[in-house]
Amino acid sequence: MFNFSKNITAWIFLSPSLLIHFIVVAIPSVLSLGLCLTDWNGFGKINYIGFENFYELFDDRVFKKAVLHNVIWTVIFLTIPIILSLTTAYLLTGIRRGQLIYRLIFFFPYMLASIISCQIWKYIFHPIHGVGNWLSQYGIDFLEKSPFALKETSLYAVAFVDGWHFWGFLVVVYITGMYQVDHTYYESAELEGATKFQKFWYITLPMIRPIFVFSLMIIIIWSIPTFDYIYILTQGGPAYSSEVLATHLYSQAFDRFNVGYSSAIGTLMFIYVLIIVSIFGILQKMGWNI
Amino acid sequence: MRLKTKIRFQDKFCSLLFLTIFFIPWVQAQTKVTWWAESNADRDPVFQKKLVDVFNSSQNEIELVMEFKENLNDILRTAMVAGEGPDIVETPGPSYVKEYQDAGLLQSMQTYSDKYGWKDLLLPWSYNAGVFDGEFYSAPKTYETMILLYNKTLFQEKGWKIPTNLNEYEDLAKNVKSSGMNVFSYGSTGWQPTHEHLAGMYLNSVAGPDNVYQGLIGEKRWDSPEFVEAIELLRKHMVDEGYWSGSLENYYSLGWDDFHAQFANRNAAMMTIGTWTFQATENGFKDISDDWDWAPFPNLTSNGGEPSFLLALGTTLSINGQSKSPDSAAKVIDFIFKNKALVLDMANDFNFGEFVIPLKYTSADFGDNVNPKVRRYLIEFAEATGKGNYGYTTWTFWPSEPGVHIWKDMEVLWAGELNAQEYMEDHEKLWSKARRKNATLPVGKR
Repeated sequence: MFNFSKNITAWIFLSPSLLIHFIVVAIPSVLSLGLCLTDWNGFGKINYIGFENFYELFDDRVFKKAVLHNVIWTVIFLTIPIILSLTTAYLLTGIRRGQLIYRLIFFFPYMLASIISCQIWKYIFHPIHGVGNWLSQYGIDFLEKSPFALKETSLYAVAFVDGWHFWGFLVVVYITGMYQVDHTYYESAELEGATKFQKFWYITLPMIRPIFVFSLMIIIIWSIPTFDYIYILTQGGPAYSSEVLATHLYSQAFDRFNVGYSSAIGTLMFIYVLIIVSIFGILQKMGWNI
Repeated sequence: MRLKTKIRFQDKFCSLLFLTIFFIPWVQAQTKVTWWAESNADRDPVFQKKLVDVFNSSQNEIELVMEFKENLNDILRTAMVAGEGPDIVETPGPSYVKEYQDAGLLQSMQTYSDKYGWKDLLLPWSYNAGVFDGEFYSAPKTYETMILLYNKTLFQEKGWKIPTNLNEYEDLAKNVKSSGMNVFSYGSTGWQPTHEHLAGMYLNSVAGPDNVYQGLIGEKRWDSPEFVEAIELLRKHMVDEGYWSGSLENYYSLGWDDFHAQFANRNAAMMTIGTWTFQATENGFKDISDDWDWAPFPNLTSNGGEPSFLLALGTTLSINGQSKSPDSAAKVIDFIFKNKALVLDMANDFNFGEFVIPLKYTSADFGDNVNPKVRRYLIEFAEATGKGNYGYTTWTFWPSEPGVHIWKDMEVLWAGELNAQEYMEDHEKLWSKARRKNATLPVGKR
């Protein structure tokens, strides 16, 4: 039954944050969505131009490249950091002493500001002062040139740095989930002679499924507006080889003064995220334990 | 005794009353003029002490308040669009002025320019760059040009000479490389638009400023052979020959400190850069026995000829369309333009990398404290440009879309995904679009 007095109290307490959310997030977002149908340059008159920005987008080779790079980025983050962090978290649950130190070590990069992480890796891969130059003295020259400066590797190099910063966060999330698993399952499995991998596969993974699926969802959603690491390390270059949707959007809005066009990119990003969230919502409604 | 005290008290009271009546209204009558400037830890105190404090103490009518902001462009745009912002609007160049002016966010300064005679004070090209739709909207705050820096000691040791044509340029590059050094020190990490410095130099040096002018005013297409040849030559020197920092990848990887160190440490013989670098170069050579010098970038044609100085405005000053005190804001700008000594003193503090207002200087204007190399640059620049020996930089004369294309898509060309012809065809398309949208920037008659 709807309890009016109980609900009104909740709404009263929610209203300040809702109000701020509407003013700071919701209204500007809706207005920004509206801009995608205009040719606004960020300064002057706003002219309605229908879907022209979208037609132009589908002819924009940089946009197509950016979409592809976002897909690659998502795939990378859905595989490497997840495999690494699941394995590490599982192994860490078996450690009794000093586990906190390990957790801290793995979590530490996540606490660093992106600009600091980027500077560290820029220096590591620096062609003069970096390890590549040092290794080349011993005949190992695959890092002689900075991977950020090669169009073949720039996207993967930036993903590596972002992944290095991000995976510790997943370790902590998974380890928290793994501690919630009832230990008697493992004891029974041990009595049955299950291997470590079998225990992980048949007990741990199913038991942490809600957390695991949640991590997949946030990775897919966070991969779309990814910006800071790419902007700091490569600015989308060289030759758009690491350009993603967010850097393209930024360049259109702030370098070229095409705010309407960049809003069209933003709208497509928003629709994509909405679809992902809806899929997860539908799965949940269908009874999936996520 | 008591009477004396009473009299003293009355005196004090009267004095206080006098001050209240006359002093307070005077304080209140002062007009406040705000100016937002890009924050820079080294420069801000100099602006405060040598400009703001000096201006404020020079008169009682206006109070100048300079606020130093991080990411000025973003903050300023938001404020201006919202009908707010400072009285004096500082932008990074004419392409921004054009957007603000089109949107009706700036006031015309034509009346002030006529009243105070600014046209006669400023170098003609810099004045013309501020004229939009026939009216003066932006005053130059600093000007710059691209130059060739070289290690003078090294050149003397090796018997190298500054090249005067394409053959000499390529021969010198060969000699430098065979000595185990990089030809030029430069890099783009942290500032991708660095590529446009080189693109502008090659367009002017190979195709010639006259052709570039024709391109700017729409009388020559940008995919004409002269321009394609210029861009192809830059590609060859950058990608095939690795003139800049040894390879394209190294050029992409080096930043400001790296390439200055490379130049000072004899890892490169020369550096192609703007005059904003004087301070950093001077600092780089401070503790070493080598000396540096500069030369205008040569014409990269078989005949060579007298090199040109590229015209560039670093920052500009305008008056906010919403300003409640435009007259006072104009008085601040006029104070600056009429105080050559103050401008030169401040510019000297920045080793002429900032606040170099393009006023008509003569050698008599410079004190003994000015670095002789910089003094020579200022005088030669004024003489050469006065004779019409000048070219055009992309960040002062290119509209925003082609202006971004020239550096952003240059990497696509260098990556081999496009050839120079295709690149310039794309460039021409963006110029056509800019012309259709009336987005081109003012270019004074040549």
